[in-house]
Amino acid sequence: MTVPDALPDAPTGTGVIEMRGIGKTYRSGRLEVEALREVDLDVATGDFLAIVGPSGSGKSTLMNLLGCLDRPTTGTYRLAGADVSGLSDDGLARVRNRTIGFVFQSFNLLSRTTALENVAVPLLYAGVGRAERLERAREALTRLGLEDRLTHEPSELSGGQQQRVAIARALVTRPAIILADEPTGNLDSASGADVLELLHELNGAGTTIILITHDSDVAVAAKRSVRVRDGRLAA
Amino acid sequence: MNWAELVPLAISRLAAARLRALLTMLGVIIGVASIVALVSVAQGATSGITNLIEGLGTNLLNISPGASTSGFVRGAGGSADTLTIDDAEAIAQVEGVAQVAPQVSTMAVVVAGSANTTTTVSGITPAFMPVRAYEVWRGSFISEAEYAAGLRVAVLGSTTADDLHLGASAVGSDINVGGVPFRVVGILQPKGILDDQVYIPLPAMRDHFVAGHSLQSLSVSTAHADQIPLTKFRITELLRRRHGIAQGDAADFTIIDQAQLLSAFGTITGLLSLLLAGIASISLLVGGIGIMNIMLVSVRERTREIGIRKAVGARGRDIMAQFLVEALVLSLAGGILGIVFGVAASALIGTLAGWGLSISLTTVVLAVGFSLVVGVIFGVWPARQAARLDPITALRYE
Repeated sequence: MTVPDALPDAPTGTGVIEMRGIGKTYRSGRLEVEALREVDLDVATGDFLAIVGPSGSGKSTLMNLLGCLDRPTTGTYRLAGADVSGLSDDGLARVRNRTIGFVFQSFNLLSRTTALENVAVPLLYAGVGRAERLERAREALTRLGLEDRLTHEPSELSGGQQQRVAIARALVTRPAIILADEPTGNLDSASGADVLELLHELNGAGTTIILITHDSDVAVAAKRSVRVRDGRLAA
Repeated sequence: MNWAELVPLAISRLAAARLRALLTMLGVIIGVASIVALVSVAQGATSGITNLIEGLGTNLLNISPGASTSGFVRGAGGSADTLTIDDAEAIAQVEGVAQVAPQVSTMAVVVAGSANTTTTVSGITPAFMPVRAYEVWRGSFISEAEYAAGLRVAVLGSTTADDLHLGASAVGSDINVGGVPFRVVGILQPKGILDDQVYIPLPAMRDHFVAGHSLQSLSVSTAHADQIPLTKFRITELLRRRHGIAQGDAADFTIIDQAQLLSAFGTITGLLSLLLAGIASISLLVGGIGIMNIMLVSVRERTREIGIRKAVGARGRDIMAQFLVEALVLSLAGGILGIVFGVAASALIGTLAGWGLSISLTTVVLAVGFSLVVGVIFGVWPARQAARLDPITALRYE
């Protein structure tokens, strides 16, 4: 199986992720909750980092910030060389589209939509024409061994196959990093092991991967891991 | 991203729930169909009425006397006896006047054998038929010879003939008009209006029913339609002089031409069309609210889809465009189906009413345009709701 390269123009040897003094405070009415405080995080290109923490530790908040789904309250976040801490909604959408590939616990595929169309969705928002979209989606699915499942809808695929489709979707834009949020959480142990093996192979081929999990057994698949506890990072 | 890409996407999403899409469109279908059908009915009726008026005779001026005034009570228009047979003779000499047809009418009971009817009996001259564009079905109209000889002859309108059970063979038979025997010399072709009439020579009218010299109406034909305004002016001047009406005083007669009558009907039917289209538009509005309702439900149901699309890079405006295009496809498809049903209904009504199918391109274009506007107006809000969803919340939505 061949695995696509990381974003070719990503600066090598330098940190693809540079977080400095990141904090996130949620405010509901007069109540303020400090979900993250003073987080510094560096991830080098080609790294495979596991972020481990129990639920309520601020792990999900960190994942949302890393994935540009949310903005930090304080601190700066440089992703692939650009400061993304103060971007507009449209700016963040663009970064998610070009620089980040998501793999979710619950797969998050579009229902009643074929595997091929699902993988092509990010390219639609990148402005790629339909013919090229489908061709690149076909390539990505073929790399993940799903060339005979192109026209299957998610409901016709096993959990492991659905997660492979989701990984193909994450790869199709050739992002700088892949963010995998509990990617094995909804899978049986055999399929889960397959997915981790797949992430390992992708990383071996140069893709930067960040794995978010509560399970330290899963975290061992990564090259290194950091723990989140009470909104702070611990080595 | 490209708007053209969104149309197939919208169609495939709507095709996934066909029954719902159809029910959602139903309001727009009914709205557009009723606009098309009602406007077409109004136009058909208008052309029907126009044909009737034109059937009364073209190049025609109708002169009637003014209202009589008794003390402070003003009578109905035409009740005064200021218009006389001498006026008619003077008008016949006016330049541009082709023929003059004076008329005196009354109501009378007409008896033929065992049948009887009460109808309008009009005393006329032989010029009446050509001026008013009547055509004879059987027999002939009152001839100059019969008129000059002072014969008691009568010509029946088609409705009167039917009421009296008189057919083609009735020509030459005798009827009794208000107690006076008359011989039927002709029966007229139906015109649609003013068919319930009995026509007799003016002198016979004077002798047996209405004495004196005054006329109830005077029809004047001109040689050409473009002579009507000038001829009307000349007749007005002549009658004012003859009746001794001072400058600035109101005339004691009225002159109506066909153009005035047609424009009056045009105003009425125009208002009617507008009213009908207005009522139909309300149902289109209701249809639009139906689309908005379903789109709001759809945004709620597809929150997770919106979250996924935003996570992989859709901007707010991409999501907005997707839902707006869905609303537009719904309303446009509804509009097109509505036109099909509307045209079918108009064709059916037009056939039944006998005025044929009259669909104007303007109506169709307006109906489609209106349904698109409804789609935009009622699609924007749900689409905005979708576009503003927070991706984190939307992804977590079950």
